[in-house]
Amino acid sequence: MKEKKPYAITVRELMERGRTQIPAELISSSHLIYNSPAALAFNSPGAQGFGVKRAGLAIPGSVMLLVGPGCCGRNTTILSEMGGYSDRFFFYIMDETDIVTGRHLKKIPQAVEELVQSLPDCPSVVMICMTCVDALLGTDMERVCRKAAVRVKLPVVPCYMYALTREGRKPPMVDVRRAVYSLLEEQERHSRTVNLLGYFSPLRDTCELYDILHQAGLRQINEISRCRTFAEYQAMSAANFNLILNPEARLAARDMETRLHIPSIELTRLYQPDQIHRQYHAFAGALGTGIDDTVWYDAAQEAASHIKKTYGGMTVAIGEMQNGNAFEMAVALSGCGCAVTEIYANLSAQDFVYLRRLQEYSPDTRVYSNLSPSMLYYEGGGQAVDVTIGKDAAYYHADSVHVMWDEEVQPFGYDGIRELLRQIEAGLERRHG
Amino acid sequence: MKGLWKYIAPFAPDQSGAAAVLYGLGGIVVICDAGGCAGNICGFDEPRWFSGGKSAVFSAGLRDMDAILGRDDRLVAKLCDAAGQIEASFAAIVGTPVPSVIGTDYRALQRMAEKKLDIPVVSIDTTGMAVYDKGIEKAYMALLQAFAEPSVKAEKGTAGVLGALPLDLMRPGDMDTIRSTLLQQGWQHIQLYDCLDDFRQAGRAAVNFVISPAGLTAARYLRKSFGTAYAPAYFGLPLQFPDTSLFFRKKVLIVHQQGAAQALRKYIGQGQPEQVTAATWFMQPREWACDGDVVLREEDDFCRLADGGRFDVIVGDRYFKKALPHFTGTYLDFPHFAVSGRL
Repeated sequence: MKEKKPYAITVRELMERGRTQIPAELISSSHLIYNSPAALAFNSPGAQGFGVKRAGLAIPGSVMLLVGPGCCGRNTTILSEMGGYSDRFFFYIMDETDIVTGRHLKKIPQAVEELVQSLPDCPSVVMICMTCVDALLGTDMERVCRKAAVRVKLPVVPCYMYALTREGRKPPMVDVRRAVYSLLEEQERHSRTVNLLGYFSPLRDTCELYDILHQAGLRQINEISRCRTFAEYQAMSAANFNLILNPEARLAARDMETRLHIPSIELTRLYQPDQIHRQYHAFAGALGTGIDDTVWYDAAQEAASHIKKTYGGMTVAIGEMQNGNAFEMAVALSGCGCAVTEIYANLSAQDFVYLRRLQEYSPDTRVYSNLSPSMLYYEGGGQAVDVTIGKDAAYYHADSVHVMWDEEVQPFGYDGIRELLRQIEAGLERRHG
Repeated sequence: MKGLWKYIAPFAPDQSGAAAVLYGLGGIVVICDAGGCAGNICGFDEPRWFSGGKSAVFSAGLRDMDAILGRDDRLVAKLCDAAGQIEASFAAIVGTPVPSVIGTDYRALQRMAEKKLDIPVVSIDTTGMAVYDKGIEKAYMALLQAFAEPSVKAEKGTAGVLGALPLDLMRPGDMDTIRSTLLQQGWQHIQLYDCLDDFRQAGRAAVNFVISPAGLTAARYLRKSFGTAYAPAYFGLPLQFPDTSLFFRKKVLIVHQQGAAQALRKYIGQGQPEQVTAATWFMQPREWACDGDVVLREEDDFCRLADGGRFDVIVGDRYFKKALPHFTGTYLDFPHFAVSGRL
């Protein structure tokens, strides 16, 4: 008789095992991957936010030719209609003869030419999106792109949607970030210019990071998502340094350091006001300047105290289909008086720094993996929760107050935690009148 | 240019068709992929996935070294682990481009898994390069060959329905409509092939109604195996347009799967059109086609056929309209889930 129970482990048990003994059920490569709506962001990153296809179009004026079997372009039907990208996606659909003979490689330059000729306006760049098939065939796509570029007299850049390499050295979402900055060319750098790397959407306009950078003497803050023209995009290579806001942009930053000699500094998205404060001051120290973040810090602390006072003890379930690290967010919300009962997320060794703190607040918090086959039997964890954060958590607890926290415009810093708490409060107020 | 699609995005692939047949049958369904194919199948091609009905659909989570080294044993081990946790009556392995490129021997994979599991295993060698109807056809055949009990005899009041899947039928609720319609027609027991018992008892049907061409091969197989008669039937979207007089003396083009196209042809015929042509990118069995009907292979085929003044009225998923910038006639939307994912 099967147990028919989802696998779960408490934070205390995880800490006892330590970072070297993460249970296999929480490691995606060790089991079949359950395909539920809660796991959609893992299996199909483009279904929510940015996958390789949409991310590859981050360069202003770019178009994309996806080269692969029909199935690889299938979701583009819906995504491009939803996102207004339908005029920028094109397909070269491979058949079995292409795979056996490799003839598609000879046809890509012609396809690029025909595509460019059919467009009302000349694109700034043609991105060629490759799939697992060419990964296995060992295609030298750089060479094919060079041939295509000569033919159309435009940049033609490959980007790799190689799901097979997801847990490798250059996962697709890491490499596509490198690809979208690969057209930047070295130019004279401006000491008061910085690039924010990591996201394909801008930070919230109200984010204090902009003001903090101004305090540090920076005048021009570039984000690829705010570039309206190709010229604005090219101006990013004049930055004095890159500020990495998402670890998936590290490869892009390294590449820019090698090619363009632009160094980088990394900031982590955090939701704990104390940690945000420490990080900003360490950052200012690295720049050799000082900053005053008191006003934002106080506002974030006040928001946290308000939630603690008003809704202290509310139960929360946190998923990973949201703009944050579920474990770090659990620490932050525990600090606001919330009882985090469940977390649904893949666990990595790096997360133990958060688990250590979470153990102090909430050792009995249960950790599940959205991807574990046993999640087929998840039925509410035996206990209702007041609030869910993330689309996956909402799927598991349909009757709770849901804060999706998956907007494309990115939260960061004190502004992020304040907005998160505001949305939680607004959701609870709507529910309770 | 052959292979280049500038206006129309790819249709639901064969693995989505296979997974649609397997959905809800109570088996462990393993999509033999790196993740994206499974995500597309459920996230875009399977509306039942969002309507609450859970199904044990998994991605094999293949990684580059699995493909390079052909580590089928790892996949079998993962499948055995899952089978140890999940109550399932069978397991199915569904192919995608990755195993197709590395030449996976599905029969061998199936036998390896069967040796280690105490449930039957079927494999479906879909490739991601064909479209959904091919996958439906393969899945029906794999399940019938594995499970249909040869000793079952036909019963007079039992009707089977092949091809009743959301990819063609649009709405998950249409399954209930089919059942109630046939019950009203006097049939006492309906087999929609949406549970494993229907496959085991396939020989019980006195007749199989075939909704889309994807079900035809299975119907022929059941006729050969059990002598079951089959007949085309339409249970899809309501055939309703504002007024059939708009087809009067008009040249009409229908673009859909051939089963729906035949039903539309009959409906449009009431308006006395000058000519009705059906065109499809999907299967077009000779017995369901009329003279002049067209099989499309490429996007260019469609543009050459319809982007101009050759037809006065086009009936098809509105998603196709993008490919017809020079068409000035009347375009009537008739959705097809396998094309646009619209319910």
